[in-house]
Amino acid sequence: MEPTLLKPAYLDYLRRHGRAPKTVFAFADAQGITEGEFYRHYASFAVIDREAWVDFGREARTQAAEEPAWQGYGAREKLLAFYYTLLEILKNNRSFVLLTLGRSQKRKPALIPKVLGKFEDEFKEFVQEILQEGRATGEVASRPFLQDGYGRIFLRQLQFILLYFVRDESTNFERTDAAVEKAVTLSFDLVGRNTFDSALDFGRFLLQR
Amino acid sequence: MDQPQESLPTSKVARAARFAKTGFKVGANYVQHYAKKAVGADSPTADLHEANAAELYGTLSEMKGSVLKVAQMLAMEKNLLPPAYAAQFKQAQYQTPPLSGPLVVKAFRDAFGHSPSQIFDEFEPEARQAASIGQVHFARKMGKALAVKVQYPGVGASIQSDIAMVKPVALRIMGLKEETLRPYIAEVEARLLEETDYKLELSRGQAVAAKCGHLPHLQFPAYYPALSGARILTMDWLPGQHMVEFLAENPSQEVRNQLGQALWDFYQYQLRELRQLHADPHPGNFLFSLTNGGTVGVLDFGCVKDVPALEQQQFLALLDPATLANPGRLETLLVEAGVLRPADPATLRAMYLRTLTQSLELVGRPFRQETFDFGDPAYMQSLYALGDDLLQDQDLRQQREPRGSAHFVYLNRTYVGLFSLLTELGAVVRTKYVG
Repeated sequence: MEPTLLKPAYLDYLRRHGRAPKTVFAFADAQGITEGEFYRHYASFAVIDREAWVDFGREARTQAAEEPAWQGYGAREKLLAFYYTLLEILKNNRSFVLLTLGRSQKRKPALIPKVLGKFEDEFKEFVQEILQEGRATGEVASRPFLQDGYGRIFLRQLQFILLYFVRDESTNFERTDAAVEKAVTLSFDLVGRNTFDSALDFGRFLLQR
Repeated sequence: MDQPQESLPTSKVARAARFAKTGFKVGANYVQHYAKKAVGADSPTADLHEANAAELYGTLSEMKGSVLKVAQMLAMEKNLLPPAYAAQFKQAQYQTPPLSGPLVVKAFRDAFGHSPSQIFDEFEPEARQAASIGQVHFARKMGKALAVKVQYPGVGASIQSDIAMVKPVALRIMGLKEETLRPYIAEVEARLLEETDYKLELSRGQAVAAKCGHLPHLQFPAYYPALSGARILTMDWLPGQHMVEFLAENPSQEVRNQLGQALWDFYQYQLRELRQLHADPHPGNFLFSLTNGGTVGVLDFGCVKDVPALEQQQFLALLDPATLANPGRLETLLVEAGVLRPADPATLRAMYLRTLTQSLELVGRPFRQETFDFGDPAYMQSLYALGDDLLQDQDLRQQREPRGSAHFVYLNRTYVGLFSLLTELGAVVRTKYVG
């Protein structure tokens, strides 16, 4: 069996039954392969979960960039477009999202499980690219030292949006759309040139003498 | 245009918090007012209204959606509001900041599965105009200039909760009575829910354009069902400017008269022949141009009111010149319309008759003349003054129940709106109806 088919088969099982197969053996057997063959591709089911999230992120970036208007977008709009495309994909996979994120919500609310690890790493890279562009156009203020921490801020934003989506019960998740607009505006107000920079500039001026 | 507004505060808590803030500040204004009074300083109520209105407007304009719509509708009903509020809310008709480009793209993908640039030959990502529940983009397809209206997400869902929140605030801050507002709010809610349905607006727009297309100096856009959905509406881009910009270029009196005449004929025809009214005559819904000596473009068919035959007859009969001259006939008509009741004591009946004769004399004045000069500011002023007087009238205030048909609410609103449009145009209009 091809490893490319193993992933969809597992995800299909997960969605239908609301849980992972009891054992790797049972799953492999149902797919007509040996347990050993399964481990040649994936160390565990959790690895497939993680990979599925990475796929969502990559797909969202590709799809968003295919949009003809993408070239004309500034940094803020690119991030917005990414979020909306991602949410569109997640909507079609909501059962999976609820299973992987929802489980942890019952035990420890607002805690993002490990399953997002690699997905988040790639997101951080994407944000760095966007911010770099934003600095070139002046949309994002250049703040040496401080700006290294931006990745973490945007990561919290991504997590906020995902958790909002998990809990959202409005039709077509329109409230999540509103949450995205709000959150992104706030973040770009913070990283854009604002009062903070003027205050810093003023302070620097006073210290010169 | 303002900075694009990226969010619509949709969470009920967030909006409620805004209201709470306004309530507090208005409270503070009142405290200042009475404190000044106590020390004998002169603080006319008009000042107080103005301060409150500015405060309330600031809050409402941040909320958009149906809250803004309700405010706009209240602004139309100047009789209901002290003039200071009306003036503040009128601004709201132009100044609402747009949504971000990616969200517009998303709305298109939801509706058609394609982004706007795939559907149109050309699509401007920046909105040209913002309306209270949507925004208008300029697009081009096959050489045609198109206006594409995109509705804000979540508007439909939040209308009821918005109205529930506006009501107590409106009652308290504007000093209105629940009874005055209730039939009005119910009507507004029904119209608002209809207004979120762009499919309905499309079919109505097509119908009205077909029925009124023959009227001179009016222009209706063609609608494109294939490019429209529940939240997106595509129509022709009509030439022309909004009232304020158009008037800034000082059009001649002839042009003003022709525009005013076109508007007047449009409404007369709708009321008398169609029994269906474009019930939202605020300046944002019309475009004015110099084409053929003055042409009015009619834009928005979200708010169309069907007038039942009975109410139409009663309304027209009330406006008939013979009615005012004959108190007995007026009384009969008012009993028919349910404004006067057989069980009313004589003093109450006399009070109603007095105030209604007074308002009818004023409101119906244009209908009783061959031509009417709306350019005379004194007319509109006395119309507002009458509204204020009625609000202040102690006898009237003690009447706790509203009277007459709820349909009159919209008829009244439509005509007051029309009159104020014509006054702004300063048009001299041939008001006698020749059917």
